[in-house]
Amino acid sequence: MKFEYFLVLAVCIAGPLAFSFSKKLGFYKDTKRLVLSILLPMIIFIAWDVAATYRGHWSFNKEYISGLYIFNLPVEEILFFVVIPFAGLFTWEVVKYFSGQKK
Amino acid sequence: MKEYTIIAVLFAVLSLILDIILNTKLIRDKRFWIFWSVMFVIICFVNGYLTWRPVVVYGDVFYLGIKLFTIPIEDFLFGFSLLTSNIVIWEYFSNRNDKFQNQNVKSTQKSNSK
Repeated sequence: MKFEYFLVLAVCIAGPLAFSFSKKLGFYKDTKRLVLSILLPMIIFIAWDVAATYRGHWSFNKEYISGLYIFNLPVEEILFFVVIPFAGLFTWEVVKYFSGQKK
Repeated sequence: MKEYTIIAVLFAVLSLILDIILNTKLIRDKRFWIFWSVMFVIICFVNGYLTWRPVVVYGDVFYLGIKLFTIPIEDFLFGFSLLTSNIVIWEYFSNRNDKFQNQNVKSTQKSNSK
């Protein structure tokens, strides 16, 4: 199924996105900080991904991707670098919330 | 040559160096390692699915060939370096905001005392 990779990403972001507006976490408050934290690594990791795909370190199964490409990467792979960091940062805030703000 | 292995190790180390340079002190933060034990399980499911179908196919000559379930161990370093750099930058700007706010508090206190 062509949209399988996309669906995996949708499942990953659904929970974090739904709960990111929780006032207790305040995750939504600082958009600029969120954008920078996702965007800066994204640039470097997409460069890694483009080079690695070019070299043949890995490739993407055409059965499970939409067929749209950006920089020779499936559009899903580009979205990966937004979805996974967003879900990760959300999880980090949840861990901090439940283990107390103190170190 | 095991290029994926080499790059993955390099990136993981660089993400930890970023933590040191930006003084975010995550390596010494217990919560950071709690986070990673949670993420490890999540990554096993998500990346496990992607590598099991497989959505992503790996070039045999470029990685060690050691896998956990269907996941090449290099993938864990990939995920580690990505999310660690996200969190380091996230915490870096949090620290800056705190300092900025503290400075504001101090300056208002000063102006009040005058």
